[in-house]
Amino acid sequence: MSKPKVAFFDFSCCEGCQLQVANFGEALLDILGLIDVVMFREVMSEKSEVYDVAIVEGSITTTHDVERIKKIRATAKVLIAYGSCATIGGINGMKNNFDLEDIKQYVYKQDAKYFETIPTHPLHKIVKVDYFVHGCPVYQPEFVKVLKCALAGLSYVVPDYAVCVECRFNENVCMFDKGISCMGPVTRAGCNSWCINNGNICYGCRGMVSNPAKNGQMDILKKHNISLDWVENKMNMYNKPRELDIDEQKHKG
Amino acid sequence: MKRIELKESEYIVAPAKILEARMMTAQEKYFKIALEGGVSLDHEPGQFVMVSLLGIGEAPISISSSPTKRSYFELVVRNAGRVTNALHKMEAGDSLGIRGPFGRGFPVQILEGNDLLFVAGGLGVVPLRSLINFVIDNRRDFGKVHILLGCKKPADLLFANEINDWGKRLDVNFSCTVDKADPDWKGNIGLITSLIPGVNLNPKRTFAIVVGPPIMYKFVLLEILKKEIPEKQIYVSLERHMKCGIGKCGHCQIAQYYCCKDGPVFSYDQIKGNKEAL
Amino acid sequence: MQQFVVLKKENFDAFISSLAQTQKVVAPVSRGYNNFSFQEVISGKEISLKYIPTILPPKKYFLPPRETLTAYNKRENALNAILEYEKMVIFGVHTCDLAGIQCLNMVFVDKPKDINYIIRKNKIAIIGLECNDYCDEYASCCVVENHLPNGGYDLFFTDLGDAFIVHINTMLGEELVSKAAVFKPADAKTLKSLESLRQMKRSIFKDEVNVKHENLKILFDSAFESKVWEDLNKRCVACGNCTNVCPTCYCFDIIDEPNLDLNTGVRYRNWDSCQNEPFAKVAGNENFRKERSQRQRHRYMRKFKYPVDKYSRYFCTGCGRCSRTCMAKIKLKETINDLAKETK
Repeated sequence: MSKPKVAFFDFSCCEGCQLQVANFGEALLDILGLIDVVMFREVMSEKSEVYDVAIVEGSITTTHDVERIKKIRATAKVLIAYGSCATIGGINGMKNNFDLEDIKQYVYKQDAKYFETIPTHPLHKIVKVDYFVHGCPVYQPEFVKVLKCALAGLSYVVPDYAVCVECRFNENVCMFDKGISCMGPVTRAGCNSWCINNGNICYGCRGMVSNPAKNGQMDILKKHNISLDWVENKMNMYNKPRELDIDEQKHKG
Repeated sequence: MKRIELKESEYIVAPAKILEARMMTAQEKYFKIALEGGVSLDHEPGQFVMVSLLGIGEAPISISSSPTKRSYFELVVRNAGRVTNALHKMEAGDSLGIRGPFGRGFPVQILEGNDLLFVAGGLGVVPLRSLINFVIDNRRDFGKVHILLGCKKPADLLFANEINDWGKRLDVNFSCTVDKADPDWKGNIGLITSLIPGVNLNPKRTFAIVVGPPIMYKFVLLEILKKEIPEKQIYVSLERHMKCGIGKCGHCQIAQYYCCKDGPVFSYDQIKGNKEAL
Repeated sequence: MQQFVVLKKENFDAFISSLAQTQKVVAPVSRGYNNFSFQEVISGKEISLKYIPTILPPKKYFLPPRETLTAYNKRENALNAILEYEKMVIFGVHTCDLAGIQCLNMVFVDKPKDINYIIRKNKIAIIGLECNDYCDEYASCCVVENHLPNGGYDLFFTDLGDAFIVHINTMLGEELVSKAAVFKPADAKTLKSLESLRQMKRSIFKDEVNVKHENLKILFDSAFESKVWEDLNKRCVACGNCTNVCPTCYCFDIIDEPNLDLNTGVRYRNWDSCQNEPFAKVAGNENFRKERSQRQRHRYMRKFKYPVDKYSRYFCTGCGRCSRTCMAKIKLKETINDLAKETK
C-alpha cells in the first residue's frame, strides 16, 4: 500500500502549529515512515496539487479564504483542522468583537479600501472537517494520536471534560490555591494540562467543553475576587467565534 | 517498573470469527459469530458480550440468538460509535475478540411453566429475540405466549422473515405495529402501548418481559400494570454506557446497581421508583 | 518480637535512607502553597511529617491513573494480558488514606477479581502515620470513624515528640524493622504516652457534622429528591477534581492506543469521573446523568449509600480532599449539614 500523501496549508495564523511538527525531533522520522509529505511550505519548496490528507492551519477571514478552503476540501479525502485558529477561530476571533469597517480602518488606515474582510470563521463553519486538533499551539502527542486515527480510518473524539481532570492526574498545585485564576475548569482537555505543568495558567486555547458551567465559573472567579471584565476577556480571547455556533443553534430553534 | 504477561485476566478476549454478515436496515447490521476452536458461548437469554476490535476498542452488544443454537451466536449492531462503526465495515471471515457473556439474563427457570407477554420496541427485539427463540425452541415448557412488537416504520423491522414465522405459529399470539405505515403495510398502526389492552391474559400466571428504548418503558409499564400483572412478574432490560462489563468501571451504574453485573435484566419491583433506572 | 517498637527521631533519616537503598520509597513531600504529594524520596529529610492530605491519595500507586491491561498485535490477531507493577514502600499514610485503600481492596477483590490490582497491592508495603490533631477544617474523619488506626498497614508510626512509637502489624512490617536495626523495644512509659495521646485525640476529634455516624446512611437513604443537589447544580463546574482526588473513587475508562506502526498497541484503563459530561452517555447519545446535580448526587451516594448497602462501609474516608480541591467551594460537611437541615 502506498503511503498517503499529506499536504499542509495555512490561512490566518502564525504558522506556529506547523512549527510544532517541524520541531518533533526523532518522532518525526517515525511519522514520515507512515506518510508522504507532498507540500509543507515551512520545511520544503516542493508543491503538489494531489494529496489525500489536508492538514489546515489558520482561520477563514476573507471571501478569498472561503473559496480556497472549499477547493482544498474538494481535493482532500481527509481534512484535519489544525490548531485553534482552524478549530475555533482562536486569537483571530477577537476581530469579531468589533465592527468590521472600524477594525479594517484601524489596521490598514488609508489603504483599507483595498482589503475586504469577513468575520473570523473556524474551518468547520465553511467546510466539513474530519478531525480537530485543538490548541495554541497544538499539543504534539495529541496530533500524533489524531494522525494515527486518520490513517486507520477511525474517528477521534476530543475529550469533553475539563483540563482540570488531566491537571489533577499530573498532581499540579491548583492555580486557584496559588491565588491565580485559570480557564482550566471550562476548557476541554486533551493537552495533558501542558501549560499548567510548566507553571502557566490555562488560557482556554482548546475551546470550551460542550456544556460549560458559565455561571459556576463566574461564581468561582467572583469568589476569588476576579473581575467579570477579566473573565469576559479571557473567555473571548480564543472563543469569540463560539457565538457563531450559538447563533446557529438559536436559528435551529 | 516491571512489566509481565498475565495468564489470567478479565481483559483477555476469546478469538472469534464472523460466519455471516449482512445489513438488516440502513443502520443495523447482522453478524453470525462462532468462537474459535468450536467452543460454545454458553450464554443465557438476555446476556451481552463485549466485542473487541484491536486498536479500536470494545463495545457491549446484546446477544440476539437463543442459547439453543450452540455452535454460533448472533449480534445485531447499530452503527453508533467508534467500535460499531468499524464493525459495520467487517464481513464474513473477519476475526474479532469476545469477552463474556456478561450480566444477568432473563430468569428462564422462573418463567418456565408460566404464560409470557413479550413487548419489544425498536431495537428491543434484538435482545428479546434470544428469549423468544429459546421459548419457541422449548415451547412445551411454557404456557401461553404473547408477542407484541413495535417500531417506527416498516423498514425498521428487524428479522422480518423470522417475525413473520412467529406470526404464523398457532402456539403464539402475535401482533406488530408501526408508528408510521407505508402503502404496503397491512398490520397495525400506532404506538406499541395501543396493543396491550387487547391482550387476553391471566395476570396471576403471566410474566411480562419488556425491552425497548428508555422513553418506551414508562408508558408500556403503565399499560402492563393496568393488566394487574404483579410487579415482580415484570422484567425489563436496560441499556447503559459500559466499559469493563464486570462491575468495576462505574459507567453503567444505575443508583445502587451495576447494569453490567446486576442487570441488564431487572425485575420491575427491583427498580420501581428508582429515578436513575426508568 | 514485640508488637510495639520505638524509633528515635535522630534515627528516622537513617531508617528511610536504608529503606531507599533497596527499594523505591514514596512519602508526602511539600509542594508549596500548603499542598503536598506522595513522591519518591531517598532521605527522611525530604518528607513532610506534618502534612495535610496530599493532592492525590496513595490510590495512584494501587490503581495508577493510566494502566496497561493488554497489549495486542493485529497481524497476529493476538492480545496478551499485561501487568505493570513496582515494588515499593509507602511511608506516611494517614488513617483516612489507609481506610481508602481498604475500600479499594473490597471493590477489586470482589468477584470477578481484578488480578492487576491484587498483584500490585501485594508488592506495596504500607507504613501508616498517625494524625495527632486535625489537619484542617475540611476533614471529617471522626464521623466516619477513621481518625484512629484501624488496620490496613504493615507498620504504623505515631509521633511522640522525640521518638516514634511504631506498631508492627504484619510479618512484612517486622522484616522492615529488623532489617533497619535502628528500632528499640517500646517500654511501658512509651506505651503509656501512646495511650494518653489516643485519649487526648478522643477529646479533640468529634463528629464534624450534625449527623451521627450510624445516621449518615439513613440521611442518604432519603436524600435522592433533596433540593440540595439543585444548589450544587448551580455551583459545580464539573471539573472532576472531587472524584479524581477521592481515595475511594475508582471509576475508569478503557481505551485502545495503537503504536505508530498501526499494527501493535495497548489497551489501557485510565481514571474516569462520573462528574465528566460524557460519563453516562450511551452511543445513541442518551445521557443518563446529564445534569451536574445528578452527577454530584451520584458522587455523594457512592460514598454514603450504595457501598454501605453493598459492603457495609462508608466510602467517604473523611480526608476532606473533595472540599479542599473544589474551586466552587462545594464542601462535603456543608452538604451533609444542609441535607440534615432539610429532614428536620
